[in-house]
Amino acid sequence: MEFDGKTILVTGSTRGIGTAAAALFLERGGSVVLHGRRQADVDAAVARLSAAHSSDRVRGLSADLSDRKACRGLATSIDGLDILVNCGGIFREAAIAETSLALWDETIAVNLTAAWVLSQALLPKLRATRGTIVNVGSDAALLGYAGCAAYCASKGALVGLTRALATELAPEVRVLCLCPGPTETDMMRASIGTAPDEEKARQQWASYTLLNRVAAPTEIAESILLAASPRATYLTGSVIMADGGATAGKRV
Amino acid sequence: MAEVTFDYGGRVALVTGAGRGLGFAIAKALFKAGATVAVNDRTAESCAAAIARLGGGPGLIAAPADLATGNGPANAVAQATAGGRLDFLINNAAVNVERPVTATDDAHWDLHLNVILRASFLTAQAALPYLRQSRGCIVNIASELGLHAIANNVAYISAKHGLVAMTKAMAIELAPTGIRANALCPGTMDTELMQECARDSGDPASYYAAFNRYHPIGRLATPDEIAAFVLCLLSSAAGYMTGAAVTIDGGSTAGRQ
Repeated sequence: MEFDGKTILVTGSTRGIGTAAAALFLERGGSVVLHGRRQADVDAAVARLSAAHSSDRVRGLSADLSDRKACRGLATSIDGLDILVNCGGIFREAAIAETSLALWDETIAVNLTAAWVLSQALLPKLRATRGTIVNVGSDAALLGYAGCAAYCASKGALVGLTRALATELAPEVRVLCLCPGPTETDMMRASIGTAPDEEKARQQWASYTLLNRVAAPTEIAESILLAASPRATYLTGSVIMADGGATAGKRV
Repeated sequence: MAEVTFDYGGRVALVTGAGRGLGFAIAKALFKAGATVAVNDRTAESCAAAIARLGGGPGLIAAPADLATGNGPANAVAQATAGGRLDFLINNAAVNVERPVTATDDAHWDLHLNVILRASFLTAQAALPYLRQSRGCIVNIASELGLHAIANNVAYISAKHGLVAMTKAMAIELAPTGIRANALCPGTMDTELMQECARDSGDPASYYAAFNRYHPIGRLATPDEIAAFVLCLLSSAAGYMTGAAVTIDGGSTAGRQ
């Protein structure tokens, strides 16, 4: 199978897009290291995935991505690595005036700096396997959204990180950024949950895309595997939009 | 070529990192156009020196603050708005130290991300009440490296890309208030910093030649010509521009020679 013999770390993989990607890697032959912030969530995800796929090729590690020391500890716990998927992220909405320094710092720490620290710390292992880094960005890396200045900044910077790493690490390590549009995850549901009219909020998210619907996590996971595929040998530095067309065109 | 002139009499501007280089050139151009200019730099001494070079006078306000800190940006804005008004915020301050991935440590990463990206957010946040009142304008000085990459500059490139994205989010959020926000993405400029780097390289001629080759137009930009375009972005000529990331890079992001 496509990922036979490959070891893949997916951060933020106890739920949402991360868990969907981990399941697909596992299904296609890979050995998967799950990651989450809380050990209990990680244990539950490991149990769930190993049962669903009758596989012992899945294990898990916990680390707080906002803590660099914990990120470096996570990197040390991994012996060999072929693919790093930086998927862990947070989305906290706040108008510019209401954005606290803590919100800003945490958003940058988790969405950007963790991906940087893990990429740097795991670089020797990725070089050894001529590996691949897939950063999970967002359509918000290219499209500005009101109430999301910190999030947009973090995802735009993640695109910059992708390009800088791809430029410097070529040809040994391929580095890509896969940018999902609105996706049916807990993260999106949490945002919708704060809206006065949830159905209207969901339709608003959907309306940003040409397909006029939010994505299922598995659809985004398929795109992540496409970017990470050993067959994608000429893809590097790419910013791949898996956004239902949100950045390509605007529905009027 | 005809010189374009602007009249910014009665307007108040804050230019961060205005002690030298592009920031100084922007402060100079705004001051020449009649604006009251708050000159931000890291120390009171460097602000005073820049103000002296500009000729001094009541139209120049020293706004020293260390933008790498959490409260420095708001502090700079507070000094600039002592008169109760702000029309233009130009986030120009930056750090740019080239380092390979393997030599980039936490302090280096944080300094670039905090000065380039976080400070630009925090100055805008602090300036917002004044900009609402004046229906003012934000110009974030990004870089061509906010749009593509080179090797050995990962922290700077990440921060500048983030600045471009943040500018778009601000533009969208602030559009209903009449505040415009744009990012300017210059190529390499012949600044004091550039001259120092060229000297440090031991072979200034080939150092410059490499940069000249990098830009299809065959030369570096002068800070004054970039500053002139910043004044244009602040003017009614750019009244329909918001959320743009404008390249002014001698063609370096446009293609390959």
